[in-house]
Amino acid sequence: MSAPDPAAHVLDLPRRDARDKLTGATRYTVDRMGAGALHAAILRATGPAGRIVTLDLAPALSMPGVRGVAAAADAPGLHGIGVADHPLFARGHVRQPGEPLAAVAADTLDQARAALKAIVVEIDPDPACLTLDEAVAPGARLVHPDWRDYATLVEGGNRRDNIAWEARVDRGEVDAAFADPTMRIVESAYEVGRQSHVPFEPRAAVARWEDGRVHLECSTQAPWTVRRVTAEVMGIAPSQVRVTVPPVGGGFGLKFDCSIEPIAAILARKTGRAVALELSRAEEAASCLCRENARIRISSAIDPQGHIAARDAEVLMDCGAYGGEQVFLTTMTAHTLGGNYRLGAVRLVTKAVYTNTPPNGAFRACNGVYCTFALERHTDEICAQLGLDPLEFRRANVVGDGDIGATGQVFRGNVLGEMLERMEDASVPVLPALSGTLPDGRLYGRARTVGTWFVFVGPSSATVHLHDDGSATLVTAGVEIGSGSMAQGLPQIVAAQLGIAPDKVVVRQADTDASGLDMGVGGGRTTVSLGAASLEACAAVRAQLLEAAAEMLQTPASGLILRDGRAEIAASPGAGVPIPELVGRIQASLGPVAGHGAFTAPGEPAMPGCTAGHFIEAIDIPVHAVHEAEIALDPDTGHVEVLAYRVVQDVGLALNPRAVRGQIQGGVAQGLGYALHEEITHDAAGAIRQTGFETYRIPGALDVPRVEAILHEGGPSIGPLGIKGAGEVPILNVPAAIACAVANAGGVRVGALPLTPPRVLALLRGRGGRD
Amino acid sequence: MPPANSSAESRRLLTPATIPAALEAQAAGARLLAGGTWLMRSALRDEPLTGAFASLHAIPALSRLDLTPEAAEIGAAVTHARLAEALAGIPELAPLAVAAGASANPGVRRAATLGGNLCATEFPAADLACALLALEADVDLERLSGPGRVYMAQFLARREALLPGALVAGVRIPRRAGRLGAHVRLPLRKAGDYPVAIVSLTAEVADGRLSRPVIAVGSVEPVARRWAELEAALDGVSLDPAAGASAAAGLLSSFSPREGIEAPGWYRAEVLPALVRRALAALEASA
Amino acid sequence: MIRLRVNGEPLALDLDPMTPLVDLLRRDLGLTGAKAVCREGFCGACTVHVDGEPRLACLTPAGLVDGREVVTIEGLGRNAPPSVAPVDDAALPTALQRAMLEEDAVQCGMCFPGMVMALAPVLEAEPSMDREAIRRAMTGNLCRCTGYERILDAAVLALRPQQEAAE
Ligand SMILES: Cc1cc2nc3c(=O)[nH]c(=O)nc-3n(C[C@H](O)[C@H](O)[C@H](O)COP(=O)(O)OP(=O)(O)OC[C@H]3O[C@@H](n4cnc5c(N)ncnc54)[C@H](O)[C@@H]3O)c2cc1C
Repeated sequence: MSAPDPAAHVLDLPRRDARDKLTGATRYTVDRMGAGALHAAILRATGPAGRIVTLDLAPALSMPGVRGVAAAADAPGLHGIGVADHPLFARGHVRQPGEPLAAVAADTLDQARAALKAIVVEIDPDPACLTLDEAVAPGARLVHPDWRDYATLVEGGNRRDNIAWEARVDRGEVDAAFADPTMRIVESAYEVGRQSHVPFEPRAAVARWEDGRVHLECSTQAPWTVRRVTAEVMGIAPSQVRVTVPPVGGGFGLKFDCSIEPIAAILARKTGRAVALELSRAEEAASCLCRENARIRISSAIDPQGHIAARDAEVLMDCGAYGGEQVFLTTMTAHTLGGNYRLGAVRLVTKAVYTNTPPNGAFRACNGVYCTFALERHTDEICAQLGLDPLEFRRANVVGDGDIGATGQVFRGNVLGEMLERMEDASVPVLPALSGTLPDGRLYGRARTVGTWFVFVGPSSATVHLHDDGSATLVTAGVEIGSGSMAQGLPQIVAAQLGIAPDKVVVRQADTDASGLDMGVGGGRTTVSLGAASLEACAAVRAQLLEAAAEMLQTPASGLILRDGRAEIAASPGAGVPIPELVGRIQASLGPVAGHGAFTAPGEPAMPGCTAGHFIEAIDIPVHAVHEAEIALDPDTGHVEVLAYRVVQDVGLALNPRAVRGQIQGGVAQGLGYALHEEITHDAAGAIRQTGFETYRIPGALDVPRVEAILHEGGPSIGPLGIKGAGEVPILNVPAAIACAVANAGGVRVGALPLTPPRVLALLRGRGGRD
Repeated sequence: MPPANSSAESRRLLTPATIPAALEAQAAGARLLAGGTWLMRSALRDEPLTGAFASLHAIPALSRLDLTPEAAEIGAAVTHARLAEALAGIPELAPLAVAAGASANPGVRRAATLGGNLCATEFPAADLACALLALEADVDLERLSGPGRVYMAQFLARREALLPGALVAGVRIPRRAGRLGAHVRLPLRKAGDYPVAIVSLTAEVADGRLSRPVIAVGSVEPVARRWAELEAALDGVSLDPAAGASAAAGLLSSFSPREGIEAPGWYRAEVLPALVRRALAALEASA
Repeated sequence: MIRLRVNGEPLALDLDPMTPLVDLLRRDLGLTGAKAVCREGFCGACTVHVDGEPRLACLTPAGLVDGREVVTIEGLGRNAPPSVAPVDDAALPTALQRAMLEEDAVQCGMCFPGMVMALAPVLEAEPSMDREAIRRAMTGNLCRCTGYERILDAAVLALRPQQEAAE
């Protein structure tokens, strides 16, 4: 038997969930909060740091409508990624503004909120570290004085003082290269702020305690993570937690972590009632697990031939009060800041730093977006200082076939080089030079940047049932967060593999009781990891079908194909048997038809001994992008208008080209938000000041141009059918391209994001960009 | 379902049909409610929204929009959307038309009223207030003791003292043939957010010269105000946007711009010359 | 007592008149199509029609819709209450929704009910609108997923038959 050709899977399949989403019929988690559930509200700390002297919950219990309260004693476990440092409710000490202290469940939300006010809280304030500078200063006050006592879940990270985790890459003789007098040294420093995801559906959960187990219906990207963390913090068995996931109203990485779900679970257990918890918009914003603020210092030694002999960089990532994703993300510097270009020798030190601020998390192309900004600004600064052409420099130095990356992994194919050529062919710029003045007096700038991201592979499982009505059911823990992976990509794969129409593939809503382990929807992994598992599950089903068909049609299985709902003899179309009939036969003799598939990261080799504290030493599936931005800068007000935006994206195989283009348009828009509009600042207590749409400005329809997208196919991928993840990477080089274009337009050194009008005007007027 | 809101019993909404009835309700403790686009966000500002409210929508006199050759008389309950539509294409009222048509977003403009824009005292970025200042409007106030009329500039400067026990019935804008106007606002995105600075301007233009310019600046300080120094500097000079901008650049020190989450104070002041240039260019284009 | 019609159905409700209309719809009537995303008038996801006009349900006190006709996304384009005329699976009620389906415009979907409610009447009132005019009309409707272009494509597509007929 021959497996279907990859091209047979390609289709602009429309979304199966669009009709309900267009008529308001879709019920997200926030639409399931009525119907007899209690409503929960969270009491949060106001100051950044202090010792809890009093937390008296008793008065809340006697408030009208209150059915239950919860606090630290109800959640004994600590959770974390790499380091288990995070309690669900503050225990003894407060380490961040907004830290949950207690929660109340009552008949109505207003009653729950009123009851919070009755709780007696007394906190003896401690001095706080609110900034990266303060946290890494010698003698800084420790955010976690007891950091040594925390369980380390992964070995190898250097941890000390306020450094939650340090990851390093040391390859080759960096110091020697910097000391070599023939080298030109270029040094740069950058600083970026946080970015808030603003999913239109906030984090929300409905919990029920049923038969000694908790059932959580919640808005998450990672049901298996919610299952594990809920069990960890409650001190119950993971098998006591069931997680199901209705359609999710946007995630962007925020919902890759478990955060509020265990609170609903605890209250459900204590009250014996269904408990609904939905964060208000202000709470969602103030407690958002943002893309972290960071500082990047990067220096390069350029040899006389214009190659990068050595690179030395340090990245400080603010993890807020708890390590969370940032601990893991220290790994990514090697592949983002250390990626894209051939480096003779390299030293990268990345530190996740504790501060007394709200914890950060994962956001679409985490770490990558700002490291690419820093890398590409630095690349342009190298070119400016050495008098090199920025496009030529990139062409000459990007990794090609057989080149090694920062950690010594060997790259295959000349992917970035080819993509740069395709951009060159596609680009029809407004002005010929990279900078100039437009007829209306505004300053013109253009820039082209490269970026490298990856697919966060890792465990996924899938089961496919084929029924005697010719339909199939796909069971996974995959969640539809809007990207279309579950609504388009996976049914396309199953349909093509089984020779049935995509609308005959029923996709089971994620349910940890029904599916196997899954890492979650994020990191561009859904179509790759779940796709690979689905493909394998389909292979088992195909084998059963074809064996039965071979017997019925008296033709060897190798001569049969599955198409149009039939098993047919490839050589004589029309001669065959309908799939329902085949399934009926198998059912009668062997039982129902099903197949199971599993997938995990195959593990790409790196150079031994050059990394420390890394969770991933080499990336299994690199994904590259080339972006070009053309902007107009208003010299009077600092406003930046994007005149044109072009993307060449390495997609491997575009399974649903139209859906990929939709991801590119949306990802670029989100990147423009981070580059130009979306700013987060902190008040004197370290709390986020932008707590709503008035002050946190996401781009509107007038702020986003049409993105021209070229899908670059054929780059090597170990993904099923040669697929790469397409949803995460579109945001990757947007701030890089915009910042380089602004630098070109204004003739200024752009060292910080976001480039809001005040920051740009300050730059143009020679006052730095930081006020 | 259990009662949805614990304050349900304590909140009441009255719909007086006349101005005196509204004033009575106000005297009895009710807060006036117009479009609600400011009031309904009270909770987000940590201000509880309790007690009684008196909606102004059923009072016909507050919805009038009369255009005579001498004046435009506009009731307080007229919405931004209706204003923008009714005033489109009237050159001497351009600042108000632009302010009403470009502020906020279509959904807000359909609800938000002129009176609400003038009476949301904590709101520094009010477009209509700034435009009406440049148009030298008068504000008609009603109290139980009787009606009164104050200059817009006075009203804005003394709102906090004038408003208790009073209702804004509307505004009267004198129409002076030959006067032109412009309203230039600067949101940080293309549209949808509050302007970080506003310049509204009216003037007579004859033989390419400006006379008696009235220039109002909004959103820079907590309350919109006139820019007297620039008015003096531009009176009688030729209509030259670039020259106007440089004159403005030399007169920024009279502002004490407000700091905000969205923009620092210095920025609000430093963009003013550019806004003055744009306003003069708009004037030039309409002349 | 607040008396109103919602999607054609007459209702009398005893509730706090300052309750935002969006809560009346979602919580008290179970009409969850309108989304309470920002609750401050910036995102448009809660847009419904009051007497035929798009309104922000988060900023509209329930008491102000007394005596009015409210239509939500669930009732849009239906001549009878949904209970009487069940959802027709085959057809979406407006040209805009059909075009959004055709253009693969939807992603997470949270903004779409509001987007449809805000845009559909505008397109109907001004069928000659061009792409940039539609873009301006979308100022009060934010979307975090799509980057807007597909929504614009759909709006343009929805108007095409009328614009072609007018030529
Ligand atoms: C998303 C959004 C964007 C916005 N963008 C802008 C913008 O760009 N530019 C701008 O100018 N504004 C903007 N606004 C603010 C908006 O203009 C004000 O909210 C609005 O003008 C208030 O009018 P209202 O009728 O809704 O007032 P309400 O909310 O009903 O009332 C506001 C205040 O005025 C009092 N009041 C109302 N009418 C009277 C009266 N006749 N006499 C005495 N007191 C009265 C009320 O008691 C209350 O204290 C925006 C608002 C929103 C929600």
